[in-house]
Amino acid sequence: MRARDLAEDYQLVRLGDPALSAARLIADQHRPAVVVVDDDGMPVTVLPGSQVLRFSVPGYVQDDPSLARVYDERGGAEVCVDNLARRTVKEVLPPKEKRHDMPAVSGNATVLEIAATMARLHTPLVVVVDGDTFHGVVTASHLLAVILHTTPEPPA
Amino acid sequence: MSFAQVLSVVVFVGAYILIATERVHRVAAALGGAALMLGLGLTDGETAFHSVEAGIDWNVVFLLLGMMIIVGVIKQTGLFEYLAIAAAKRARGKPYAMMVMLVVITAVASAALDNVTTVLLIAPVTFLVCDRLGLNPIPFLIAEVMASNIGGTATLIGDPPNIIIASRSGLTFNDFLIHLAPFVVVLMIVFVVVCRWLFRDAFHYDEKRVAEVMALSEREAIKNRTLLVQSLIVLALVLVGFTLHSVLHVEPSVVALLGAGLLVLVSKVTTEEAIADVEWETLVFFMGLFVMVGALVETGVIGQVSKALADAVGGQPLVAVMALLGVSAVLSAIVDNIPYVATMAPIVGDLVAAEGGTPQAESLWWSLALGADLGGNATAVGASANVVVLGLAARNGTPISFWQFTRYGIVVAALSILLAAPYLWLRYFVLA
Repeated sequence: MRARDLAEDYQLVRLGDPALSAARLIADQHRPAVVVVDDDGMPVTVLPGSQVLRFSVPGYVQDDPSLARVYDERGGAEVCVDNLARRTVKEVLPPKEKRHDMPAVSGNATVLEIAATMARLHTPLVVVVDGDTFHGVVTASHLLAVILHTTPEPPA
Repeated sequence: MSFAQVLSVVVFVGAYILIATERVHRVAAALGGAALMLGLGLTDGETAFHSVEAGIDWNVVFLLLGMMIIVGVIKQTGLFEYLAIAAAKRARGKPYAMMVMLVVITAVASAALDNVTTVLLIAPVTFLVCDRLGLNPIPFLIAEVMASNIGGTATLIGDPPNIIIASRSGLTFNDFLIHLAPFVVVLMIVFVVVCRWLFRDAFHYDEKRVAEVMALSEREAIKNRTLLVQSLIVLALVLVGFTLHSVLHVEPSVVALLGAGLLVLVSKVTTEEAIADVEWETLVFFMGLFVMVGALVETGVIGQVSKALADAVGGQPLVAVMALLGVSAVLSAIVDNIPYVATMAPIVGDLVAAEGGTPQAESLWWSLALGADLGGNATAVGASANVVVLGLAARNGTPISFWQFTRYGIVVAALSILLAAPYLWLRYFVLA
C-alpha cells in the first residue's frame, strides 16, 4: 500500500484564518493537528494542537507556571480563548527559522517510509503531495492500524 | 607614570569600553582583561587569589553565591505570587492602590533578596492582574523595577554595589540599615506619591472587571507550604546572622553560605535545583573585575588617582561627597554600576583614610552607594533589573522602548539624587 492509497481528507485552515477556528477544528474532530494551506490550497505546514495551546496560554503563565493554579476553571478558559481570539493561524505558527520541515511524503511512499518520516519529525501526521497535487493526509493512528492489520499478532 | 601603570590603564580602559559598549560579553571582557593583567605581569597569582587588598574579594563572591542559592529555593515556593495577588485583591482592583502595594512588596523583597530575582517574580503576576483588569501593564512594570532599585539600596545585600562597598569598607549590615534604610523609606514614600502623578493616565479601569481579579485564588500559588516555612525560617536566620555581625564576628558571606547549606539540607530540594538559579556568569564577572582592579592597585594607579583626588578635595569633604554622588549617579545611568563601584571602592577607601575616617569622610561610602544604586533608575540600561523587565515586557507583547522607560527614569533618578544630597548634607555635616 502506498501513501496515495492511505491519504484521507483532512481539516485544512488558511494562514489568514482566525487561530480560534483552528483550535475548534482540532477540538471538535479530536485531531492532533490541522494542515495549514496557502491561497492556492497547497499545504504550507502542519499546526499541531500543542502549538495552538502554546499561544493560548499567556506568556506570563509560561514564565511562571505557578500562576496557572490561581485561575478558576472558567477564568483560565477565558484567558486561553482571549489569547487565541486576537491571533490568526499565521501568528500562532512558529517563526520560520524555528519551523521544522513540513512533514510530507510523495504519493508513492511506502508504509515504512511514511512511518520513518513521522518518527524523524515527531509528527502525528504527514501530508501526501506530488508536485502541485495534494492527495490528503496520513495520520499516525491510520498508519498504525494499517501496520497492525497487515501482520498477524505475535503469540503472547 | 611608569610603563606598567600605563599598560594596566590601557588594559583596564579597553575592558571597560568593551563592557560598556557590549561589543563582547561582559564576562569575556572582564576575564580577558584579568588574563591580560596576569599575563603581562601587572599582578600575579598570589595577589589575584590571596590578597585582601588587591585580589578577588571572595567575601563578595561567596555572599552572592549563598544568597543566589537561598533566593533560588524561595522562588519555588510561590510566595511572591501569593503576596502580589493578595495585594491586588486587597486593593479591590483599584489601579493606584494596587500599584502602591506592588511597589512596596517589590521594594521590601529587593532589600532582603536581590533586584533581578524580585522583578522576575513580580513581573509575571503583574501581567496577570493587569490582564484581568484590562490595564496597561507597562506603568506598573516601570514602577516596580524602580522600586526594586530603590529598595535594594537599603541593605548590604540589596544591590551588588552595596556588597562590594561593604566588603571593601568593612561596613556592616547594620551600618547599611542605620545609614541607608531610613533614607530609602522616605524615598519610597516620595516615590509612591510621585507615581500617582507620573503614571496618572494608567489608573482608569473598568469596575466590572474587578470580579475577575477577586476570583483569583492566591492560596493556590503556594505549591509547597513546608518549603515555604523552611525558606522563611532560614531567610530570617540569615538576616539575624547579618545583624549580629558585631556579636558573632561571622562574615556575611559565611552567614549566607551557612544559610544556603542549611536550606538545602532541611528541604527536599535537590542540589541541582538549589544551584539552578546561581548566576555563574555574574560570579565570574566579579572575579575578573577584582583581578583587573587589583592590578591597578598593584601598579599604583589607584593610589595615584586617590592622591590626586584627595589633593583636589582635601579639606572639603562636602564637595567630595556631593561630587561623588552626582558622578556616580550619572555614570551608573549609562554603564553597569558593578564595574564602576568595583573601581571606585579602593579609591573611596583611600579618600576616607586620607580624611582621617571621620563621619564626614565615611559618608563618602554612602554617597557612592546612593549615587550608584539610585542612578541606575535613570535609563533602561542603568540597572540589570531594568534590562530584565524590558525583556519580559517584549516577550509578553507589551514592549517598553528605551525612551519610554527613560523619560520616567530620569525624573525618578533626578528626584532621588536631589533628595539624597540634602540627606547626606544634613546627616553627616549639619547634624553630625
